[in-house]
Amino acid sequence: MKLLAQHTLNGFGGMGEGMSMQLARDGRRVLWLAHESAPKNFTALDVSDPRAPKVIVQTDLPHAQMRSNSLEVAGDLMAVAYQVSKFGLKPAGFELFDVSVPERPKSISFFDASGPHSRGCHQLWFVDGKTVHMACADPELQPRNPKDDQVYRIVDVANPAKPAAVGRWHLPGTMESDDAPPPERLPARFDAGFRAHNTNVYPERPDRCYLAYIDGGIMVLDISDRARPQLVSRWTNSPPYHGFNHTALPLFGRGLLVVSDESVQDNAADWPKLVWLLDARDERHLVSVATLPAPPLDAFKSRGGRFGAHNLHENPPVPGAWRSEDVVLGTFFNGGVRAYDLSDPYAPREIAYFVPPAPERSKTGAIQLNDVFVDDRGIVFTVDRGGGGLYALEMNI
Amino acid sequence: MVVTGFLGSGKTTLVNRLVARFPESLVIVNELGEVPVDHVLIENSTEKTVALPNGCLCCHLRGDLEETLMGAAMRRRRGDIAGFDRVIVETSGLADPGPVAQTLYADPALARDYKLGPIVAVVDAAGAEARKVAPEIARGQIAAADVVVLSKIDRAADTARAEREVSEINPAVRRLAAKFGEVDAAALLEAKPGTDHVFSSTPVHGSTIRTFAMHFAQPVRRELLQQFLSTLVDLRGADLLRVKGLVPVREGLVLVQGVRHVFDRLRPAREGEPALVFITNGVEKHEVQALWDAMKGLA
Repeated sequence: MKLLAQHTLNGFGGMGEGMSMQLARDGRRVLWLAHESAPKNFTALDVSDPRAPKVIVQTDLPHAQMRSNSLEVAGDLMAVAYQVSKFGLKPAGFELFDVSVPERPKSISFFDASGPHSRGCHQLWFVDGKTVHMACADPELQPRNPKDDQVYRIVDVANPAKPAAVGRWHLPGTMESDDAPPPERLPARFDAGFRAHNTNVYPERPDRCYLAYIDGGIMVLDISDRARPQLVSRWTNSPPYHGFNHTALPLFGRGLLVVSDESVQDNAADWPKLVWLLDARDERHLVSVATLPAPPLDAFKSRGGRFGAHNLHENPPVPGAWRSEDVVLGTFFNGGVRAYDLSDPYAPREIAYFVPPAPERSKTGAIQLNDVFVDDRGIVFTVDRGGGGLYALEMNI
Repeated sequence: MVVTGFLGSGKTTLVNRLVARFPESLVIVNELGEVPVDHVLIENSTEKTVALPNGCLCCHLRGDLEETLMGAAMRRRRGDIAGFDRVIVETSGLADPGPVAQTLYADPALARDYKLGPIVAVVDAAGAEARKVAPEIARGQIAAADVVVLSKIDRAADTARAEREVSEINPAVRRLAAKFGEVDAAALLEAKPGTDHVFSSTPVHGSTIRTFAMHFAQPVRRELLQQFLSTLVDLRGADLLRVKGLVPVREGLVLVQGVRHVFDRLRPAREGEPALVFITNGVEKHEVQALWDAMKGLA
């Protein structure tokens, strides 16, 4: 991968895990990015020329005890997640914007999920313009453990002015109202919670949600009845691993699921955090067949900050996005962004990587690549969690 | 300004004096209600060692203190709160002030609104025994300081022991004495971070903390200096408790300031004795000198 450009986003280059591309009505490619933390909410860049990205709008959050972190654009609609740092704060939920004129995002509505046991929404999936699937607390639920507040929720936004909650699912035993016993937690130093993270739904299987549930593994859910999602299957690697399952990416034509963990502790203290390949030909029986070759631990663990798996390019079914069932890309914090050939699912191969130097004034002393999005031109966009902002790369694979 | 100091050393007394003298201050304290002043903006910050309720480790980059600073800047900009021209952060007694400095060096969004002032360590002249409870923390606080306020000298029969303790760890630090909490507040606020003092290598007995200085007889290339600091951070950043001083480059003197992995940008300085002072955890002078010599030789 070859670096085409880096943009530090006006000095606010600490980015979250929301990256989405809009093909604007005037022909521009607009990349929307969620910031990792206050003061900024989201930034849009014109990346029509990936060698010269231009910021076209950058917005502020209402206060510092919240973050957006995640966003998705579907057509001219954008959903932005709002998570607060303390239970009970507002705004917690998501906001819908009309971005038909990218320079002037107009707020359409806000879905409120605030409550005494809620930190709001951490991540959302919004690709069809009608439904938001998200990891978000529900004020009707009271978690037995506060770390378990964010559940899988389905919100109908067919009328963008009036978002309506239509369904939810949580791991049995995690809420006060449950009959099931609480799940056995990971050891305290790895206990990140039994709660939803990525919530992927694709047009190939609109009746399925591929749900990652942090310390609870990943689930295939039957959402044909959106009001009552049903568990089809569950796969977990922890224990003996250290939890934090982040993404479950289906490759429908291959009968595979790509599952990423997230490294959440500096200096690889929670190693190994890997990307797993599951044989999903029978969705009821998920079988791990390989892990993607990880960058060498000894070379990266002490570089500073986190090292290990995190986000994948999720083949979002939207115009402008690159989709592949043979190559998967992921970010590995100080291990950079990496591409893997899955032609042989039993022997995946690393075929490209890019590890930029630490951004200026890096807190960790190393790059912390957080998320990746690939467009249908083969341009790889990746963002730094620290201050490095956006990196545009050319992929020759 | 960051006010640190061991438990019971007199930090709150000092902060109260400063606030009385400079009321346009925003005070951030670790413990609720420690600074009961009514005409001062009070922010409450509770640094947690556990993930909740301050967001979880996995998904929250900033700590509570950083969030409080950012929130205050946002609210001031919007006119939600009255203006302030200085922030006094009173750390908890068992806190390492280094990360506070790191916060401001390493967060460009915060650095737009805040510039690090002096790190002040309050040292109880009569409290040497108390510091033995957590000696590494107490040493770290003194090591990171630009100014040490020797408090309670009115109560100490012998201040020499505390003076010696400070000298061994941070010989160049500016010292002020406080009697019944009274200290020259203006002198304190005028103190600048960094130092133009020079001292020789001073091993502290029974500790892994090392203090030493590197001298520069001739101006060096700025790029080489930056590469040297970058390499040093890559290799031993976690053990660089404080690096500060003046280095001659071809364009003049530059001020170098760093805490662990993070260094401020090189800033022009007007005058002072050129030397780079290191306070490290186990990094020896000959190791740093060898790295510099090797890089200089190859440049």
